[in-house]
Amino acid sequence: MRIYLFGFASDDFLGRVIITPSERTVAQLAAQLVAWGLAPELGGPLTVRNEAGDILDPDMTIAAAGLRNGDIFKVERG
Amino acid sequence: MVLRRDDWLDLARKVDWTPRYVAERELFPEEISGRPWLAHDAWRDWNEAYRTTYREYVATQRDKDAAVLGVRAALSKPRLFEDLDPGWVQLVKFHNGTIALAEYAGAVAELRMARFGRDSAWRTMATLGALDEIRHTQIPLLIGHDLLAYDGNFDWTHKAFHTNEWVILAARHLFDDMFLAADAIDLAVQLNFVFETGFTNLQFLAMAAMADRAHHHLFEKTVASIQTDEARHAQIGHPVLRTLIENGSCERAQYLIDKMWWRCWRLFLALTGTAMEYLAPVSARTRSFKEFMTEWVTEQFMKNLAEFDLEKPWFWDLFMDELDYAHHSLQLGLYTYRPTLWFDVAMPDPAERMWLNEKYPRWEETYGPLWDRLERRWQSGGEANTISYSLPALCNLCQLPALFIRPGRNTACTLETDGRRYLFCSEPCRWIFERETSRFAGHRSVVDRIAAGEAPGKLIDLIEWMGLTAPAETGKDLRRGLDPWRLDPVPKP
Repeated sequence: MRIYLFGFASDDFLGRVIITPSERTVAQLAAQLVAWGLAPELGGPLTVRNEAGDILDPDMTIAAAGLRNGDIFKVERG
Repeated sequence: MVLRRDDWLDLARKVDWTPRYVAERELFPEEISGRPWLAHDAWRDWNEAYRTTYREYVATQRDKDAAVLGVRAALSKPRLFEDLDPGWVQLVKFHNGTIALAEYAGAVAELRMARFGRDSAWRTMATLGALDEIRHTQIPLLIGHDLLAYDGNFDWTHKAFHTNEWVILAARHLFDDMFLAADAIDLAVQLNFVFETGFTNLQFLAMAAMADRAHHHLFEKTVASIQTDEARHAQIGHPVLRTLIENGSCERAQYLIDKMWWRCWRLFLALTGTAMEYLAPVSARTRSFKEFMTEWVTEQFMKNLAEFDLEKPWFWDLFMDELDYAHHSLQLGLYTYRPTLWFDVAMPDPAERMWLNEKYPRWEETYGPLWDRLERRWQSGGEANTISYSLPALCNLCQLPALFIRPGRNTACTLETDGRRYLFCSEPCRWIFERETSRFAGHRSVVDRIAAGEAPGKLIDLIEWMGLTAPAETGKDLRRGLDPWRLDPVPKP
């Protein structure tokens, strides 16, 4: 199922809307957000958190990680 | 014998008929006159500080109009643009589109108070206020029309408020809340007390000072002339607020003030903050946006609050933090989403970056790398590589992008109510929404409309949906990429 989320990458300056199948992994979601930002070429590990600040398992699916339509997620480099 | 002004003015401005055929409450229904509903006795001492007769009003306004029109005639149309900095021209286009018809909404608001305000003197002041606001609409429309021959996008002076362009949706959302969908009491507190005694100083007096240094004397005369009107009818707010507080409505008064301070701050950082520091030429910048805000808005606001023994808004620390950052973050948004605007946007040049860093000592450290990245993207892939193609997350209250205050400091939050999740740029926007959920819940942001299939998701179609004809009308890089540093010969190794 396709859902829409609001993603905030720590080296960006605003939140972006991400529309994605909820069966994708959290790691794929983070990569999708970073690709829209100003520095998609920067590599390195990414940490994903939900609005409450809990770290999400990168191998989990978006649905299993508890993200639903209209939720916020945050991506930090490192 | 002709009566002297002071012999008749108090009587004339205080003609409060005692209704005999309808109850006072029917004549001034709570729904539109405002809450709390108080019998006229409570309003009897309503007085404005500076009294004006209609004769004096007409004479003064005639002189002000003559001053503006005199400069217009002296310059003559072919010279309206002569010697103006290209960034300044875009600033005027941005200002005109956002302000001209908002002033007309202000006229509707004043007329509402002219009928439903609770005291005759209040209604008289509001009648003059309505005439003011009509004038404030007509002058920019006239001057915008003059400029059409030189730049077709000046038709956005009139057109903007009739479109779904996203900046305008944000402005309209605020002005509908503050002006058009407010009762007389709320209007007096929100429009006259908060907006006009504080924020309009920024848009009109500060801009007038900058216009003088930008050698745009017609704009200077126009905005300075408008602000003198605002200062007169802004007087309505104080006696209304005093009556509210004396009659046990301190909490409501505090809420209206807090709410409208935050909402005005949001729009002004987007409109005035970015225009002052990224479109006005450095030579025209008399102060920074933060300095103007601190000296002309915040200090005056604090004095006003102290006069009524009210508290500063609960979000004050966040506001102070945002003063250093928020409009700089928004500028990056304006630049990277420029095809969705009706004016051009500039990338700051080295001199501007130095100026910004003098005024905001953490600017270079915070924003320099982001502008550098945009520059590298321009060099590697041309202009198309510097435009954002993703949808920005928009706040469900202020309708502006949910920005980081600065990279790494994120204040976005959500709220679930009636089975729907809403996004907010900040706690204050969520707080206002929660306090008046039924007022705001039905409004859909541009992103909501795209998600619901009411607006196209494809950028090029979305631009058209916003009322912009590409490429003629859409915003571009101010210098079309021909920045001096990009044109310098490549140094030999």
